[in-house]
Amino acid sequence: MARRVAVVGAGMTKFVRRAQETGKELAWEASREALASCELPLDRIDAVCLTSAPDAFDGVHMKGEYLSDGAGAFGRPYMRTYVGGGSGVFTAIQAYYTVASGMADVVLAVAEEKMSSTQPHPQGAFLTIFDNILERPLGPNLLWIFALEMNRYMTVHGIDKRDIAAVAVKNKRNAADHPAALLGQADITIEDVLASETLAWPVQRLDVSPISDGAVAIVVASEEAAKQITSDPVWIQGVGWNLDTAYWTNRDLVFPEYVANAARMAYGMAGVTEPRKQIHVAEPYDPFDYKELHHLEGLLLFDKGKAPEAARDGVLDRKGDLPSCPSGGLLGVGNPIAAAGLMKLAELFWQLRGEAGARQVPGTPERGVAQAWGDLMQVGTVVVMGREGGPPTTATQLETPPAATPPAATPATSLSDAEFRSATGAVEDEIGAKYAWDAGVAIGRFLDGLREGKILGRECRVCHRVLVPPRMFCERDFRGTDAWVQVENTGVVQTFSICNVRWDMQPLDEPELPAVISIDGSNGGFLHTLGEVKPDEVTIGMKVEAVWKPVGERTGSILDIAYFRPRTDG
Amino acid sequence: MLEKIARPEEIRRWDGDMPVRHRYTPGVAGDAFFTALKDRGVLLGSRCEHCSYTYVPARLFCERCFAELAADTEVGPGGELVSFTIVFVGIEGEPLESPRTIGAVRLDGADAVVIHRVLEPGEEPLEIGERVEVVVRPDTQRTGSVLDIEGFRVGG
Repeated sequence: MARRVAVVGAGMTKFVRRAQETGKELAWEASREALASCELPLDRIDAVCLTSAPDAFDGVHMKGEYLSDGAGAFGRPYMRTYVGGGSGVFTAIQAYYTVASGMADVVLAVAEEKMSSTQPHPQGAFLTIFDNILERPLGPNLLWIFALEMNRYMTVHGIDKRDIAAVAVKNKRNAADHPAALLGQADITIEDVLASETLAWPVQRLDVSPISDGAVAIVVASEEAAKQITSDPVWIQGVGWNLDTAYWTNRDLVFPEYVANAARMAYGMAGVTEPRKQIHVAEPYDPFDYKELHHLEGLLLFDKGKAPEAARDGVLDRKGDLPSCPSGGLLGVGNPIAAAGLMKLAELFWQLRGEAGARQVPGTPERGVAQAWGDLMQVGTVVVMGREGGPPTTATQLETPPAATPPAATPATSLSDAEFRSATGAVEDEIGAKYAWDAGVAIGRFLDGLREGKILGRECRVCHRVLVPPRMFCERDFRGTDAWVQVENTGVVQTFSICNVRWDMQPLDEPELPAVISIDGSNGGFLHTLGEVKPDEVTIGMKVEAVWKPVGERTGSILDIAYFRPRTDG
Repeated sequence: MLEKIARPEEIRRWDGDMPVRHRYTPGVAGDAFFTALKDRGVLLGSRCEHCSYTYVPARLFCERCFAELAADTEVGPGGELVSFTIVFVGIEGEPLESPRTIGAVRLDGADAVVIHRVLEPGEEPLEIGERVEVVVRPDTQRTGSVLDIEGFRVGG
């Protein structure tokens, strides 16, 4: 039987565009705040759980080892976990099972991210998340994925962009009350969001959270230890995590099933049978405004396609029926990736204790849910936290409400561009590693097919799917696929984007038209680009055909298909 | 498994890299350390009285007890050679024109150990435990870099 586990303290640095502090120093500032919030010395900590997203952001290989001293890990059991953007919430799950299992009584969970080190733009570190052979030759950037997903979500449900922009407005306004926020703005309007630069249609500048530096820490304790440390623990009632297919173009781009699976796991553990009644405050993951809505639906808090109406009608406001991201979220507080996820747990801790000051949601919230999402946009991580048995202590606390949580003096010193460029002792360097990626068995044959003007797939005779691009094993049935199949040169546009910027955010001369295409005769989608069509004439559901390079110019590359164009045979 | 490929040059492969570089700023404690090195040619450490331990270079916090520290303790220039190595090959395994000697040194007044080059070790074999001294470049050549320290000179 698992032991009961509580959060007893929380701390965070300010989230800033560029911190003077090193990653270690940020981790220490947040960890010290968390320990101070529950008056614990470091020697009461039995084990340390740390997370930080890609090593390439801080530019430190084995970042877990590098950050260990700032996280208080010297001489202690310690492990860094990492699930991309889902990491911040996951490290709380790691702390949960470390305590629930009886391995430790008091655990410090720390999340740090320093993205400002990456030049010219942190997105460069993400380019190799795309398939190096099948996708990178097309010149993708991270915005493509979000734009493609957002377009399909909007189109399938008939969502008005204004209702999505309402999320960015809500979160940036909420963040105006957060002492650690980077982008709080009390007077922002929907018109401001809709007028911001279009990066990759339908994604605009203010739909996106900012690159940030920062760290967050929480203290997690067993029931016995928690009751010694505080009279006001907040219980971790349930945790869940789940992974979708590794082939992102094969995923349901409209509904995040992986979040729903993680939520079901966490709700089941928490005894939550009616989440819409039993969850009183939510901190869903909001790196993009549409993602908060997507995730609220994944968390089973709204019917599919209905969260945007809730945003429009004020249901998600701090004083609405289901306050969502009362912290201000990633869109308002900032998005130092791993730290942003754990910030959501810290916010629930303060909200459920009635300590959120100007951000406090009204009433007496008894239970909240925090969620993040990551890896190649395929992992859902969910934590349900609650006061358990009602809020008898809330009224008492309100007699002496703290001025603000986190304390307004929370450190993290912002460096100006000039200070960043001229800092004494600064060093600039590149990793300088070069890679040679092998095509492998299935893709090698697929590329041979492209050189011959054929699109080849592999058939699984158990789940009756034809996989394009092909693979030698079926990840669902976990068996070898059965046969090579030639599929059509035609397909249907599942979703598309009109991208105006490169990965380093420099403008493109001509917009690119990435699309997920379902090839006729296969199952699932396939990333390529569209041509011979005006951007405003592209529609989801458009029938397209491959345009091949001349035989002599083909090299056995994904670019042997020059692009897809609207079908010419009607 | 497919292996024992006889002609690796015929394997279909895609060459690439991760097109980012990094700018590392030295942080709060690092700023104090490098400014003192550049302006005054001295090495600053941080003393934690609670743990009776002096870190060098300076640090913002004690990793043992989590106390906040200042860059308050000048260490060196003398010290003790804790260990050394003689390096004959470069980063890609290529032979070096002349071997380089790298020393690990506990500077006087410090508990932490730092590494740097050992300058002209000479004919006599180095001995662990022997005295060394930091050589700092002239102030006109200092930029606020670990290379403002030329290395350790044996003796002193």
